[in-house]
Amino acid sequence: MPAKLIVEGLSHHYPDEYTGEDVHALDQVSLSVEDGEFSAVVGPSGCGKTTLLNILAGLLPHTEGSVRVDGREVKGPGPDRGVVFQEHAILPWRSVARNIGHGLEIQGVPKNERERRAQEFIDLVGLSGFEDRYPHELSGGMKQRCALARTLCANPVVMLMDEPFAAVDAQTRITLQEELNRIAIATRKTILFITHNVDEAAFLGDRCFIFSRRPGKLKATVKIEVPREKRIWKELLSEKAYTEPRDEILHLVREEVFDEEE
Amino acid sequence: MRRSSGAAAGGAARAGRWRRFVKGGGVELLLLILGILILWSVISRIIPNPDRYLPSPLSVVLSSYDVIWKGLLPNYIGQTLWRLVVGSVIGLGLGIPFGIALGLNRTVSDMFYPIMNFFQSISGIAILPIIVVWWGNSEKTVFAVILYTCFFPITFNVLTGVRSTPMILVNALRTLGASRLRIVKDVLIPSAMPHIATGARLGIGYAWRAVIAGEMLAGRRGLGWMIFTSQDADLTAQVILGMLLIGAIWIMIDRFALRPIEADTIQRWGLVQR
Repeated sequence: MPAKLIVEGLSHHYPDEYTGEDVHALDQVSLSVEDGEFSAVVGPSGCGKTTLLNILAGLLPHTEGSVRVDGREVKGPGPDRGVVFQEHAILPWRSVARNIGHGLEIQGVPKNERERRAQEFIDLVGLSGFEDRYPHELSGGMKQRCALARTLCANPVVMLMDEPFAAVDAQTRITLQEELNRIAIATRKTILFITHNVDEAAFLGDRCFIFSRRPGKLKATVKIEVPREKRIWKELLSEKAYTEPRDEILHLVREEVFDEEE
Repeated sequence: MRRSSGAAAGGAARAGRWRRFVKGGGVELLLLILGILILWSVISRIIPNPDRYLPSPLSVVLSSYDVIWKGLLPNYIGQTLWRLVVGSVIGLGLGIPFGIALGLNRTVSDMFYPIMNFFQSISGIAILPIIVVWWGNSEKTVFAVILYTCFFPITFNVLTGVRSTPMILVNALRTLGASRLRIVKDVLIPSAMPHIATGARLGIGYAWRAVIAGEMLAGRRGLGWMIFTSQDADLTAQVILGMLLIGAIWIMIDRFALRPIEADTIQRWGLVQR
């Protein structure tokens, strides 16, 4: 079975907004994500992670290379790729339920069916009882659960996540990571998760793609062979199958960070 | 809206209203108004020929009795309000869609922004003479001035509102597969709502001034016309009465028509701080 997401020889240049200088953001990136696989992209800030995500999402046209989802070339945004953004991406004027059902509304799913399916995901992310609340009444963690459910509910082929837990506090982040793992088990979604946090990448990823700093290149790929069911923070910290690849990723990322400081 | 049933609930509601009135500085406001009235009475008592220069509050009230009794005042107020409503409904009807259309494209909005700003600065009274040249002292002239006055602040604010929509919300909808039309409907318009409300409030406020100015120069009947003709007839009390009514009616329009719209939609979404 071919991979769900295939990136080949992807490069991207753009002129800097202020200086007009040519910025080389991504250089010959090739990677693929298998069906049902949870992949994590990790690298120092400025390594082109967000550029990569925007290209995959179709929000940014790329200058060179190819991106295919389910065999189809990406030419713009589409419902086959769902995106969970860093924060503040749910609509403040829609209730939780209407935000979550929004993708189905766009797809033209009838109201009854839409509400039934939205409810499934409201329950899945633990927002039951908050259906009629508005985003400003929710905590940061709950807003991200809502954003996650909105993306899941639209049933994309591939889920792209752009540092979705970067803006919440440390305790909430740990909970959300475990929740996301549980949801990944329940939905078997193909996920590409972007983060600068090594622990997060190793905790969530079946495979981690480590990027070098600008121009962003795929530096290494590290596999984490811990069964999803065993991925609980309390138990994982003493698990070699987690700590060894985690240290390896940390080492690879540190090389990039320290290079920059010279 | 508050619903109360029974005498006890009614009493409690009245007590609550009183508490809010006191807390909101209502007592101070009443004292201030009373102070102004006293000062006004004193001045009109010490100056010579107060009936011509500054009639006392009492004479103003008596003069209102006179015009009400003749049935003129309700007629004038109705006329002025009718002009305001028609003018600003047309102004909103044109300005809101126009502002949204301009806001959709950055190049177009950058082009129109200075033009909008330019016309916004030329007050209705400044364009009145040229319109009088075109259409004379007619109803058309009055409406043209109202329309002109409210159109630009409304369009300008709506345009700003659409432009200040966070890009991340637009992108989120694009990745959900939304069409351009749906992005306008589901993101840009709701996001611009606070600006649309501000634009409407400002625009209708300007239109209220414009309708008075228009009536003075080009209208027949109406509050502005009353002020103008009363001055000609040396009825200073009626001039002051007209001024007071203009201010008082505006406060009512703002309090009971414009502000509730803002509160009902925008505050519920958490877009403005309570």
